[in-house]
Amino acid sequence: MGRYAQLVLGPAGSGKSTYCSQVGEHCTSVKRRVHFVNLDPAAESFEYPVSLDIRDLISVEDVQEELKLGPNGALVYAMEYFEEHLEDWFAQVFEESYGDDDYLVFDCPGQIELYSHVPAFKRFVQYLRDRGWSVCAVYLLDAQFVTDTTKFISGCMTCLSAMVQLELPHTNVLTKLDMVENKEEVENFLDVDARSLASQLNARMGPKYLRLNDAIASLIDEYSMVSFFPLDYTKEDSLQDLMAYIDNSIQYGEDEEIREQLADLEDGGG
Amino acid sequence: MPDERREEGKRKPVVVLTMGMAGSGKTTFVQRCIAHLHQKANGMKEEDVCLPYVINLDPAVTHVPYEANIDIRDTVHYKELMQEYGLGPNGGLLTAVNLFATKFDQVVELCERRAAQESGLERTADEDGEDEDERGEAINYIIGDTPGQIEVFTWSASGQIFAESFASQFPTCIAFVVDTPKCTEPRTFMSNMLQACSVLYKYKLPMILVYNKCDISRHEFAIEWMKDFENYQQAISTDTSYAASLSRSLSLVLEDFYGNMPSVGVSSVTGSGMDEFFNLVDASVEEYNENYKKTLESNKSAEKVGELLGDMKVSGQGAKPPQPHHL
Repeated sequence: MGRYAQLVLGPAGSGKSTYCSQVGEHCTSVKRRVHFVNLDPAAESFEYPVSLDIRDLISVEDVQEELKLGPNGALVYAMEYFEEHLEDWFAQVFEESYGDDDYLVFDCPGQIELYSHVPAFKRFVQYLRDRGWSVCAVYLLDAQFVTDTTKFISGCMTCLSAMVQLELPHTNVLTKLDMVENKEEVENFLDVDARSLASQLNARMGPKYLRLNDAIASLIDEYSMVSFFPLDYTKEDSLQDLMAYIDNSIQYGEDEEIREQLADLEDGGG
Repeated sequence: MPDERREEGKRKPVVVLTMGMAGSGKTTFVQRCIAHLHQKANGMKEEDVCLPYVINLDPAVTHVPYEANIDIRDTVHYKELMQEYGLGPNGGLLTAVNLFATKFDQVVELCERRAAQESGLERTADEDGEDEDERGEAINYIIGDTPGQIEVFTWSASGQIFAESFASQFPTCIAFVVDTPKCTEPRTFMSNMLQACSVLYKYKLPMILVYNKCDISRHEFAIEWMKDFENYQQAISTDTSYAASLSRSLSLVLEDFYGNMPSVGVSSVTGSGMDEFFNLVDASVEEYNENYKKTLESNKSAEKVGELLGDMKVSGQGAKPPQPHHL
């Protein structure tokens, strides 16, 4: 009965497409079936096989040309249009092709405004959940911009602002770790305690922000609300570990065992 | 105020970078700022007249309702870029901004030259005499309008280059524009505040929260929420979702955020709150001088030592400093 999905989010250039193609390759190599759905009406080209594409319905380029909108306006328009046709277009195509035991990866647009200011995405997520999909949001951030403590906090805040909007299990991923020169420094951020975090922040920010630094540091440490998963494609296990982590959060595979047991019980009873 | 400025001689203009989510009304806010400053300048003596210097950094904007002194669209053509390199709207936007960032030293140079001028005086002719048609007023503010997508600026190298190049020369502050009517929804409000917090930690520059569109809905509710987290928790108590409880925990942090953050409600349509906004901008200069500049200077001296050491090693075959090209 399991229906599983990942929503891949993150700012432009954070490596969403690369992530999808790597997941595709990984799944082929372990003989696991996975489908890719593109939800970014502004996408250009794909390095992975896309089985369902929002651009069949609407693309930002067309909207820009026909309605003479800027890229932002066009994107919002496209997502609203998508929401309008969620039932009559998406539901049809979607339910025809996918159902039980499918594992989907949604490549989503990165703009945070689409999640916070436009209801389209919330409705879409609701739609998926109503139909029994267990969904996990995978938020990607470029590790190259997380080079010191304040920028790390900045990244945490960006992730949090997405988390507040999507009511989903959330996995934050630092991508492009292989491009970072000082890996140890980044890895330090992944496992920090409140006190050292606060003292590092205090050294970098003005005295005015002492209390805020403390509050944020304890928030991150005590509630462990934001944690990042480092992803380095050059390391073999990296993606595998991440997939296992995500699978765990959406309980992928757990139903399978139960079903086997159920089947056994039914066999015994019948 | 103008007297103080003249006493100081060359008071450096303050750079105001507007940021905010798409649709928060950054461009209309910039327009209102300009109108406000021009209006103020109207009643002044000629030698006191100070006008804003406006820079548009959004390559994809179709229509700018104000007259920009420097416009990114004059340098990079977003549509052509997309066609020429086969980029999508997102890639085009990022590339355009990145290309412009490579020439940003010249933008800062232009601003500096402009800032050195004084009102009412005959301008000393430039060596190339190019900008003879420019108005001769001194500038008091440099206002930058950033791309509509907040990520293009906050999660790219170019945004950092823009902000830091300005901040290395002028007192700089960030005006984070918030769409007030949309923020009446507690979770959207939280999302906005977290973005603001993210920007604050990314740039470390003084920041002013600007509640825009106050003519549609007043911003007092937001201030109430920020001042006292119990108010916010009450507002969100009807929402029992997981994300709402997350917001609740975050509101504890928010209280500290507000304690440090000057905020102002403005209306770009009616112009209310603009005086207060510019007072806050002027006040932010002090914070800039105290924090940012100090760190900058200590970094600079550290760098100089590093450079000296580097020069000693290379001895002679040091890299040539990059020659700026003309825009």
